[in-house]
Amino acid sequence: MTTETLTQTKEKTEIGAPWNVVVHNDPVNLMSYVTMVFKRVFGYSTQQATRHMLEVHHKGRSVLWTGERERAEFYIQQLHSYLLLATLERAES
Amino acid sequence: MEIERNEDGSFTLSEIEPTLTEILLSIPSAIEPEGDEKVLNRLYPSPVSSPAETEVLQEWNEYVAPELRKLFHDAAVIVKDDLDRLVDEPSQLTIPAANVDAWLNVLNQARLALAARYDVTEEDMERPIAPVLNDDREVALFQIHFYGFLQECLIKGIESHDF
Repeated sequence: MTTETLTQTKEKTEIGAPWNVVVHNDPVNLMSYVTMVFKRVFGYSTQQATRHMLEVHHKGRSVLWTGERERAEFYIQQLHSYLLLATLERAES
Repeated sequence: MEIERNEDGSFTLSEIEPTLTEILLSIPSAIEPEGDEKVLNRLYPSPVSSPAETEVLQEWNEYVAPELRKLFHDAAVIVKDDLDRLVDEPSQLTIPAANVDAWLNVLNQARLALAARYDVTEEDMERPIAPVLNDDREVALFQIHFYGFLQECLIKGIESHDF
């Protein structure tokens, strides 16, 4: 009984735990291209998209979105379809 | 070479110099991975930061990776069909509006594949283009810059229209 309760709690926590959509710097992708992709994929304004693009360029990475796994995976798929270096990672709680 | 965005959203490249025609015609070979692991790894990078995320990786490899391969292949077919017209008319090329996204994708595939194949660094990208292309690597760098110039023109054209 105790084991069952623990298992259920763990599953619930894992399912609900947020994930980050991270984009990494790449010396080849054009800044204008990356900005365009962020606008298309996330519906960001030019200003928001540019801010994230510059964060990627200067800091090496930017967290574009945080939330449930299924949607995060969808965003990663979209970003890879534009050939950006994007990864999914568990958000720190 | 001149690039113009037309009323219907298509782009016309005119007065293309023979060297640039050759560089355009080499796009299909540039995106061919030819079993090069570095190229494959760049075109199809890992979707996770940690290799311990085996469940995500397994699902990705099963469902998403084949879709991406098909997407890239289909875009390449569209661009190759457009390029075939260059053979008959080497100094002019029209990119139909419906094909612009495929071109953006394939130009990026080509840039990334060449950069991976020749280990292009940030310093290489910032350095001025060599006046004389002495070896395959210099040619690849020129290709990367020229394809980037084309991407930039297409993006500007699309965005000025959207605006």
